[in-house]
Amino acid sequence: MNDCGDHCITCSDEGIPMQVERIDEARRLALCTAEDGSKSTVEIALVEPVVPGDRLLVHAGVALVGLES
Amino acid sequence: MKYVDEFRDPELGRVLATEILAAVEPGRHYKFMEVCGGHTHSIYKYGVDDLLPANVELVHGPGCPVCVIPMGRVDDGIAVAREPGVIFTCFGDMMRVPGSDGSLLDAKAEGADIRMVYSPLDALRIAKQNPDREVVFFAIGFETTAPSTALTLMRAKAEGVKNFSCICSHVTIVPPLRALLDSPDLRLDGFVGPGHVSTVVGVRPFEFIPAEYGKPIVVAGFEPLDVLQAIRMILVQLAEGRCAVENQYARVVPYEGNQRALEVMAEVFELRPHFEWRGLGFISQSGLKLSDAYAELDAELRFSVPGMRVADPKACQCGEVLKGVIKPWECKVFGTACTPERPIGTCMVSSEGACAAYYNYGRFAREREVV
Repeated sequence: MNDCGDHCITCSDEGIPMQVERIDEARRLALCTAEDGSKSTVEIALVEPVVPGDRLLVHAGVALVGLES
Repeated sequence: MKYVDEFRDPELGRVLATEILAAVEPGRHYKFMEVCGGHTHSIYKYGVDDLLPANVELVHGPGCPVCVIPMGRVDDGIAVAREPGVIFTCFGDMMRVPGSDGSLLDAKAEGADIRMVYSPLDALRIAKQNPDREVVFFAIGFETTAPSTALTLMRAKAEGVKNFSCICSHVTIVPPLRALLDSPDLRLDGFVGPGHVSTVVGVRPFEFIPAEYGKPIVVAGFEPLDVLQAIRMILVQLAEGRCAVENQYARVVPYEGNQRALEVMAEVFELRPHFEWRGLGFISQSGLKLSDAYAELDAELRFSVPGMRVADPKACQCGEVLKGVIKPWECKVFGTACTPERPIGTCMVSSEGACAAYYNYGRFAREREVV
């Protein structure tokens, strides 16, 4: 187990919903917050364009899909 | 919490359980495989199986990437980790997977510089912070994790990070499903399909299951009501005499997947002719390696790796568990010699492995009571 909650981060079918706080356009990275308040730098190349406030499903540091706000 | 609370509602769960009971045909035994370890974990955490009629049996599939890594690949990782000057990085659970002579955690205790990371990007960051060291990332996982590795390697190449490389043990989900469907050991009536893998590959790759094998598959989310609803959808298909791919998890999974993720995977990876899966043996075109364009970042070319095939310990029955032939508690060492603290087999390592799920939620040795 890990500190990400119930799921193992190595499982291919695990994803964490996160909200975009700030975007670094040049590096295509976003600072995102999970529902437990933890913050991470997230690769957004696969879901661009995103704007602050967007919700994303994040797996292993990469946003895979946008979620409905 | 949106999309969580409503999918854990006990009252709705009871309604679904009633609908499932109404959909089963008395006297018929149903065997459904939940492909993904995340589903296995949810089923036992929330007691989903206790809400099912006794003639609906859930079989736990090979969708936990830690569980399907063969011992030889662990040995390859440990060999690289022991190279002088190497910082070896991997996901946390991978550190506890036993190789033929201990785990990565044991190698760390013996002095190898092995560090847990939460994403390949963390490994790349370590490489940039340690330009005089070789930093290797042990990449595992299905199509959900593979884009993360691909983007990191693209970034490393674009930024000219020369001291970073990757042991690629990524696998793909469709070939093992086909192997299971072809297996004479197992007769399945339907599948609960993987949710987050499908955010990348989409739903279309599973169309062969109804088309060629005549079985229904429903891609599902990970909350308890997601799983119950998926089982109900499979049962309704069977009751109506049809089989199709359906998407219970449409709130997250687009039918066509994520095209950009597929494109970056296609650029960075190519299929291996064969890849060994723990318990399932060699499966054609089921594993990924780095493409020629990214060969300079391939740790298997940069370092000497044993590349040996190592048989599983005789006492361990992970193979039968992964194929759904036996339940975890039927394994001779389950809960005694093999526990999450001291795993012998991979299925006991990850929290999403079937054995760990059974162990952690108290399913030690019992069949469900006949309702």
